[in-house]
Amino acid sequence: MPATDTVASSIDLLERRSRRDARDERLFRWLLKGCALLVLAALLGAAGATLWGGRSAFSTFGWHFLVSTAWDPGNDVYGALVPVYGTIATSLIALLIAVPVSFGIALYLSEVAPAWLRTPVASAIELLAGIPSIIYGMWGLFIFAPFFANHIKPWLTSNLGNQPDDGKLSWVAQHVPFVGKLFGSSYPFGASILVAGIVLAIMIIPFISSVMREVFQTVPTRLKESAYALGSSTWEVSWDIVLPYTRSAVIGGIFLGLGRALGETMAVTFVLGNAMTLSASLLDPGTSIASTIANQFSEASGLQKSSLMALAFLLFVVTFFVLLIARLMLRQLAKKEGS
Amino acid sequence: MTDSALATNPAPVAAAAAVAPKLTVRDVHFYYNGFHALKGINMDIPEKKVTSIIGPSGCGKSTLLRIFNRIYAIYPKLEAKGEITLDGENILDPGYSMNRLRGKVGMVFQKPVPFPMTIFENVAYGIRHHEKLSKADMTIRVEQALRSAALWDEVKDKLKQNALGLSGGQQQRLCIARAIALKPEVLLLDEPTSALDPIATSRIEQLVEELKSQFTIVIVTHNMQQAARVSDLTAFMYMGELIEFDGTEKIFTKPGKKQTEDYITGRFG
Repeated sequence: MPATDTVASSIDLLERRSRRDARDERLFRWLLKGCALLVLAALLGAAGATLWGGRSAFSTFGWHFLVSTAWDPGNDVYGALVPVYGTIATSLIALLIAVPVSFGIALYLSEVAPAWLRTPVASAIELLAGIPSIIYGMWGLFIFAPFFANHIKPWLTSNLGNQPDDGKLSWVAQHVPFVGKLFGSSYPFGASILVAGIVLAIMIIPFISSVMREVFQTVPTRLKESAYALGSSTWEVSWDIVLPYTRSAVIGGIFLGLGRALGETMAVTFVLGNAMTLSASLLDPGTSIASTIANQFSEASGLQKSSLMALAFLLFVVTFFVLLIARLMLRQLAKKEGS
Repeated sequence: MTDSALATNPAPVAAAAAVAPKLTVRDVHFYYNGFHALKGINMDIPEKKVTSIIGPSGCGKSTLLRIFNRIYAIYPKLEAKGEITLDGENILDPGYSMNRLRGKVGMVFQKPVPFPMTIFENVAYGIRHHEKLSKADMTIRVEQALRSAALWDEVKDKLKQNALGLSGGQQQRLCIARAIALKPEVLLLDEPTSALDPIATSRIEQLVEELKSQFTIVIVTHNMQQAARVSDLTAFMYMGELIEFDGTEKIFTKPGKKQTEDYITGRFG
């Protein structure tokens, strides 16, 4: 009798245990799904809230909001073209500088540098990534922008620009289209689209280069050795083997940096000049979406506030298109490699 | 001057092959981070034969192979001393062009490692590095290489697909095609079947048999049956020293040294 009792109770125990496991398992899955949905909800909520907040700007100005350069609180007329252009131009300049430099840093650290140097330099880069953007902004405002205005800008305007101080156009300004306009400026200060792009580049280099360094280290040694064994040089191994092998992670890292550049507020506000005018020159001041919002939000009301909300929504749209382009680029590259 | 004479007119070398070895290794020592990994290796590797190097893990067999194309030189703090002559020139001489050496001595590694490119590009990549060929000539060269590696029939319809889609054995034959596409004189195989299943392994062994009429082959293997099956000569290494080097049949039937006998009969290793 006692023997069957024990057997029965142990079967009972097993059953209860398995029922409890099934319940816990379900609960765990729901928990995970909830965490993932939270991100989606935050994204949709933010996009929806800015769209809703900007509804009166969109309904008042319609398509003109996107193509108008006006930003006139006196007459309550607003357009997004200047800040949208400023955001995209500064971020593109930042990428043009940051991507090749980061590639160089990452390759040096993963392929060329002696072992004792790798860890300290890699940690230094990660420390750079942790510096608050206000500090980059201050450095840009007090040190870099004046230096740029005194030493770099005069050279650029007189050798490349279409408004040189002495009135004599350089060969480049006369013969190469657009360059003269890009570098022509009569504005005497440093703060400009180009300076903001350079400061942004310095800010995103740590992000891009540490992602690149980490993924370059995942390339199998045998793969690199195989290429060396065919007679390739370090440059060829890096360009033909390491980069294609890590392609999607590298592009991911670049877009991480780009995302940060597009949304960067404080540093850009300090060095962009905050001028609501559209100029072809990279040496003229401009504004970006994030810095326009930061500068005006506290005093805005009515249609101006709604227009700022609409700007925030446009930042979402710009970021979304950037990610879309990244996806398309990856797919195109994959097709070329036959996978 | 003598280089180009040798490269364009291989006849005298081939005629002398019966007596003159392809690779002559003289008193080669190797150090990494101060560790003495090879201790005075001497051996003559004959032309258009298969020479296998066997020995327990850590005996230096792969290290020795990696000196033959100086692949070790991509890492710092590795140092080879001594003399290895290929066609009468010392390849350890710092003045010997790395590019030329790697064109003459091809290598296939333990694990199949196709490049992240199409099958065609995998083979064309190395050729492009050494020669400028027209598109038509390149197509012919790639086909030749894939045929020699016994892979053509399996991949001829998917040359534009990514090489990573091939099976492990196919990938390894692609790596062999990639190496022989450069028309090297010496082919180094570093445990080329250690990551493959028995069927893929036997195909590679068959291939080695076919390729030895064109190339001098040196194969490092931890598989003694493989050494017995594919090679004409076998070298046994132990603790950084070359213990015995002789005809494969002699090594496996009447080894001259006690250590060799212990190893091939499975008493250690």
